[in-house]
Amino acid sequence: MWLSFLTPDLFASAIRMATPLALAAIGGTICERSGVVNIALEGMMLVGAFFGVVVTLATGNVWLGVVAAIVAGVLLSAIHAFASVTLRMDQVVSGTALNILALGLTGFLMEVIYGHPGATNGIAHKIGPVFNFPTGGTGVLATIWSWVDQIVFSYTPIVYVAIIIAIVAQWAMYRTRWGLRLRALGEHPRAADTVGVRVQAGRYVAVLISGALGGLAGANLTLEQVGVFSDNMTSGRGFIALAANIFGRWTPVGSYLASLLFGFAEAIEIRMQSFQQGNQIPVQFFLMLPYVLVVIVLAGFMGRAVGPAAIGKPYEKE
Amino acid sequence: MPVLELREITKVFPGVRANDRVSLVLERGEIVALLGENGAGKSTLMNVVYGLLAPDGGEILVDGKPVRIRTPREAIDLGIGMVHQHFMLVQTLTVTENIIMGHEPSRFGVIDFATARAKVRELSLRYGLKVDPGARVADLSVGMQQRVEILKALYQGARILILDEPTAVLSPQEVGELFGVVRSLVTEGLSVVLITHKLDEVMGAADRVVVMRDGRVVGETTPAKTDQVGLARMMVGRDVVLTVERTPARPGETVLEVRDLVVLDERRLEALKGVGLTVHAGEIVGIAGVDGNGQTQLVEAIVGLKRPQSGSISLRDKDITHAAPRATIHAGVSHVPEDRQRRGLVLEFDLAENLILGDQRDAPYARAGIMRTRVIDEAARKRIGDYDVRTPSIRVLAGNLSGGNQQKLVLAREMGRDPDLLVAAQPTRGLDVGAIEFVHRRILTERDGGKAVLLVSMELEEIMSLSDRILVMYEGRIAAEFAAGEADAERIGFFMTGGSKKDHAPAPQAGTAVAGGGGL
Ligand SMILES: Nc1ncnc2c1ncn2[C@@H]1O[C@H](COP(=O)(O)OP(=O)(O)OP(=O)(O)O)[C@@H](O)[C@H]1O
Ligand SMILES: [Mg+2]
Repeated sequence: MWLSFLTPDLFASAIRMATPLALAAIGGTICERSGVVNIALEGMMLVGAFFGVVVTLATGNVWLGVVAAIVAGVLLSAIHAFASVTLRMDQVVSGTALNILALGLTGFLMEVIYGHPGATNGIAHKIGPVFNFPTGGTGVLATIWSWVDQIVFSYTPIVYVAIIIAIVAQWAMYRTRWGLRLRALGEHPRAADTVGVRVQAGRYVAVLISGALGGLAGANLTLEQVGVFSDNMTSGRGFIALAANIFGRWTPVGSYLASLLFGFAEAIEIRMQSFQQGNQIPVQFFLMLPYVLVVIVLAGFMGRAVGPAAIGKPYEKE
Repeated sequence: MPVLELREITKVFPGVRANDRVSLVLERGEIVALLGENGAGKSTLMNVVYGLLAPDGGEILVDGKPVRIRTPREAIDLGIGMVHQHFMLVQTLTVTENIIMGHEPSRFGVIDFATARAKVRELSLRYGLKVDPGARVADLSVGMQQRVEILKALYQGARILILDEPTAVLSPQEVGELFGVVRSLVTEGLSVVLITHKLDEVMGAADRVVVMRDGRVVGETTPAKTDQVGLARMMVGRDVVLTVERTPARPGETVLEVRDLVVLDERRLEALKGVGLTVHAGEIVGIAGVDGNGQTQLVEAIVGLKRPQSGSISLRDKDITHAAPRATIHAGVSHVPEDRQRRGLVLEFDLAENLILGDQRDAPYARAGIMRTRVIDEAARKRIGDYDVRTPSIRVLAGNLSGGNQQKLVLAREMGRDPDLLVAAQPTRGLDVGAIEFVHRRILTERDGGKAVLLVSMELEEIMSLSDRILVMYEGRIAAEFAAGEADAERIGFFMTGGSKKDHAPAPQAGTAVAGGGGL
């Protein structure tokens, strides 16, 4: 049974599940490296998922949906930036408020636009896989090829984009002027200020980037994976992403890999649900597993994880 | 034409006139020492020049042209560099990254690290500021970090270098090296403003001395025209005794007893390798040593901030080896930490709140868990008066005090608690000569009142003038012990730098290096 469990499909499923987590986690990494706590990733993902579907349904163009998802995430993050950078509000409070706002707003607009709560109609065409290589045949070579095809070539565009973003963001963080200044902002903003780096502008950019990535994560959920939007469909993924960011030690590639771990847990959870038909274990038990993993991982790890020194502290000139 | 001229600079904070029509001239290739009591307004004046504070009046001229400096960036572009009293380095970044930040050599936003490292290396060679460009700043000693700060200013093209108390945290050797660097800078045509409280440094390095008091310039002189006593008088406005009188100690029973103490540092290496010592009532035990030889860990273990690996600590026969800080305070231990900003104060709290930290749950400051503001404020006002903390009110935030006054605040709290044992690490760091005299007297008074005092200091002069017994620490062990009067700077320096009892003659370089840059 265990062998039939570990199919290439499981790995592919893990990578798919990891994608929204990773995008949001990398957003969180960039945001927190600038010194701004972002617990509003959940809300950013949710508005992205919602507006992606709304615009796709309205225009029939799923790519416009993706753009709308990103814009929605950026707009929500702009509120967070304004509250925490300009108004110097408590960043956790601002983030919590935005999560509630996102939940309320999507629920409310659902009623306004579609006249009912719950879920939207399905979009006509989800975004399909990038590659469509032929598989089949028999023999060892054909089996290997089908494995490779499933694990490497079976994904939709945003899945690949997430991998590219992880690598590019990692490179940018350690090789570019932007990255150097970003890392300084979250550690010692005054030091950055004294050499002429604009602290507030830098933090704005970082928060907005996290909004864009959060929105894109939402687009991946609705436009590539599920095909409909339903109330609160992110169901805590934004918080898992936050955990992945910490577990990945505030680095983009680390965030991606940590998301992969949680994605794998999610994939196994789904697999176990289908395996245990007729069994007595309630389905909620399996749904719980990824979160349990988060708690275990963070409890075992948090003590050693050292975040940016100035995180959560608004910057004030003398 | 002067490279920098300040005309009638005024800066007012709520309740304080920190700078009151201050004028100052700096010529090319000149070192001007800016001298003044704690809170006189020296840092404020330099922060105005560096664009960190906006002046309320006055004019700044660079190369004879009036300029407006609104941000550090504008100061940097005018060729002004500053090394701050509290360093401005990002601990997690490398030396190179810290130096180039703000002026990164790059193409299309991609940093050219090869060029950056080469530039850093070239500068460090040219001015004799040896650093490893790839090292993380957090792993560097304070002296090294300071070199990075200076390199940063030079890299940004500074022609005018402001050094705000650069020697307060340096070991004597490092002080010597720093002044070597400063001299090579001025021969290259740079101009330097040096803020320091150490009069011997002023006498040795400055071309001209400008003295401030209460926000105003009260005098100007040159080292040739005066001496340390004269400088002190100009600063404080009265005669200052530079070395205190000390009567012999009359030690009583044992108060602190430390046995075979082993403590690990952050990297889990043994920072203390089995240290034993005792401090008696009515006795001052001084710990001499180059920074980083285990003194920090010793102090933190005694006051309960660090858990010892093995060994024991007892206070009047009560075991406090594993006591938490709160319990050690209750047992009668006071602690003046070496880093006032990190361990000593909550910078966002006001003075009254800071003055009762550690006692906030106890009578008379609290009753049934409620803090009694009236009692607290009254006590705060009294202590601030006793310790001469210069502030307009007790509602000022600790972070807004001048560096020296922050230090006095910590001393006021810890010494005001009436402890059995006072553990004081670098108690006079950043204090002016008047305040040092006061604190030294105070420590001696505590001793004469039967208190046990453990004094840790990098200032050999301070150790020698106060201690009844001197222990020298080297690499986590007590390397030597002397009775008061038995040791001279040379012999202590010999053991501080790793000499052992078997070698008899003090190594000449080691001895002079230490004695050369002594404190007051
Ligand atoms: N940000 C601030 N807000 C309010 N008051 C301030 C602020 N900065 C400085 N002050 C006050 O201005 C006065 C001058 O402080 P400054 O730091 O310039 O003194 P200093 O000469 O550098 O002293 P020290 O030798 O102790 O460092 C002090 O009374 C201080 O309390
Ligand atoms: Mg100062």
